[in-house]
Amino acid sequence: MGHELLNGLASAEVKQILNLGTRRNVTAGTALFRLGDQADSLFLIERGRIKLTLPMRVRGGEENIFVEERSPGQAVGWSALIPPYRFTLTAIADLHDAEVIMLPRQALLQYFEANPAPAYKIALNLAVVIGHRLQLLQTMWLREVQRTVQVHSA
Amino acid sequence: MEMFLMALCVSVFGMGVAAAAFGAATRSERSDSPERPQPQLPLVKAIAPTRFFSDTIPAPPVMPTKQVPIEVLLLQIENHVRMEQAAAESFLEFPTQANLHHKTNSPFVN
Repeated sequence: MGHELLNGLASAEVKQILNLGTRRNVTAGTALFRLGDQADSLFLIERGRIKLTLPMRVRGGEENIFVEERSPGQAVGWSALIPPYRFTLTAIADLHDAEVIMLPRQALLQYFEANPAPAYKIALNLAVVIGHRLQLLQTMWLREVQRTVQVHSA
Repeated sequence: MEMFLMALCVSVFGMGVAAAAFGAATRSERSDSPERPQPQLPLVKAIAPTRFFSDTIPAPPVMPTKQVPIEVLLLQIENHVRMEQAAAESFLEFPTQANLHHKTNSPFVN
């Protein structure tokens, strides 16, 4: 399976990186990580879907509100590579079990130091993932602001 | 007889005074009304209850009285987010003004 963070890497490099991690099953309905947790590992999704949620007050109670969904080949938990290394969302395997490859930050950083060429490619891939998400959220935010302006200026 | 005549005179005099007073009163009222304009009373505004720092806030929208179950509401929110993401993706694919503010079918924006 191709992983978005490993695009452009030689197959030997991909194998080396995947060997740094361990496979982990996430039972449907359970959390892979929660908002505010220490982010020590990055996760590559192998199977199933992971829902990312944020808490929101709904009718006086706190509910996990859907933010986005990540599917096989995509990564979750890149907070593990960005200070202050805390997850900013909650990740849940929603309807079906999921399987992820858990890559510990320390192992990754050691590999990056020893192998700057693949590290550079991974950094670029990560920039693409984060950049796309930023553009997406910026667009959604602007659409929401537009609606708010329309409501208040009507 | 003298007493009767005296009482009669007093009564007639009293009636005359009363009639004169009545006439004077009604005459002055009639003559005054067309000439003197009615004093302008200050307009009394309907006083709305003022709200500190919140006069410009529009009234909250009327919510339907029947609330949907929380599970349904959460699903509606999820569908709304998915539709908004799809609309945002569409804009990022073809960035145009129309695509940016394209309205989805989400019940939260209709």
